[in-house]
Amino acid sequence: MLAVRDGELDALGELFERHHGPLFGFLVKHTGRREAAEDVVQTVFHRMLKYRHTYRDDGSFTAWMYHLARRCAADYFRKSNAAPHTTDPADLQEHADDAPHAAHQATARDDHALLRTALARLDRDDREVLLLSRFQELSFAEISGILECSVGAAKVRAHRALRELREIYLRLQKEPLT
Amino acid sequence: MNCQRTRDTFPDLLDARAGSAVSAEVRAHLAGCADCQREFSALQQTAAVLDAMPTPEPSPRLRKNFYAMLADEQQSPTSAARAAQSPAGARRAAWWRFLLAPLAGCALVAVGFLAGRQAQPVQVAADTTTRTELKKLQEQMNKMGQLVGVALLQQQQGPANERLQGVLVSARSAQPSDKILDDLISALAFDPNANIRLRALEALTPHADRALVRAGVLAALPREENPLVQLELIDFVAAAHDSAATPVLERLAQNEATERNVRDAARTALAQF
Repeated sequence: MLAVRDGELDALGELFERHHGPLFGFLVKHTGRREAAEDVVQTVFHRMLKYRHTYRDDGSFTAWMYHLARRCAADYFRKSNAAPHTTDPADLQEHADDAPHAAHQATARDDHALLRTALARLDRDDREVLLLSRFQELSFAEISGILECSVGAAKVRAHRALRELREIYLRLQKEPLT
Repeated sequence: MNCQRTRDTFPDLLDARAGSAVSAEVRAHLAGCADCQREFSALQQTAAVLDAMPTPEPSPRLRKNFYAMLADEQQSPTSAARAAQSPAGARRAAWWRFLLAPLAGCALVAVGFLAGRQAQPVQVAADTTTRTELKKLQEQMNKMGQLVGVALLQQQQGPANERLQGVLVSARSAQPSDKILDDLISALAFDPNANIRLRALEALTPHADRALVRAGVLAALPREENPLVQLELIDFVAAAHDSAATPVLERLAQNEATERNVRDAARTALAQF
């Protein structure tokens, strides 16, 4: 990223190739929508270009990227909430991997489908800290930097989010099949 | 050590990287407290299901849009002015290409010679059992070849001959996976050696019907500076009749800094569209 900051814009291509997959994975689970996740990834890299002069070599690039991603995702959710919905967003979020109606068919009790639904019903901040702590190979020190809180607070929030996810997941398991 | 303090350490215990940092005191409490064991086990199960959740791959649209955005930014007046002020990066790249090109050329000849020796036709008894076994063996070899190719391609920092061999191994696969195509596209876009980029394009050409390949080649075209590779890339998009290439070709055709032959090829391709 230092090279990008110094004008070697081609170097951003290498960063894109290395990081866009995991970033997309985080965002598709966070937003629950594939197209939205792709749009947010694009916005993140656009902001990297736009604000490249502000990049400082005082932390990991990955943490900086997720810091940007978090803000871009918040913008997405703000716009998404302002726009009229014709369907329940929780239902859309069940189809994050485009598996058509997987959660509504015979496999409705499949672990992954249930978990996607449980994630969608989790509070947005809880989902965010949980996904950062489980999937992105970030340390709690880095996560605390991204969330702008103490390391202890990041751990407590991740722990609380996992417990909440489990409770929603268990409730879903007990719900009758539709 | 009480239950509450033990449970406060669960995030560390559930984090494989931090597991060793948890004190022996906590572990001792956990070993003797059935309530904490139940709570920990429940959270561990949820974390395991969460970790095993599959992650989908992004569509080719994402890569295509990213490189279009990057190309726009590179051509913006501000970025062009900055690039003109700091040619150090370009000089560095040119120096590496100058050093690696002859090495890769020698490696290409050596690998081609070895591949030719191994590809001698074999007489096989044409009974059904033998044919089935042979087919199975070929499938296994193909799969193994794909794995080796991916591993070699991923060694982007390795010597040019290893990267070239990665491309050659991947090129042998008749039905390459998305992962292999992705790695070939990365080699086409980023390998500092023009011979390897050409070989990667050659390996991708039979799969031009796949959207992923067309998007990757299109993304590589504005980045390419070597006229020889530029010409091959233009031939590819022209043969694929990929109308999405129009803006990129127009920019090449109008750019005075582009080699004349390349500009002509871009104009010809545009005329074909």
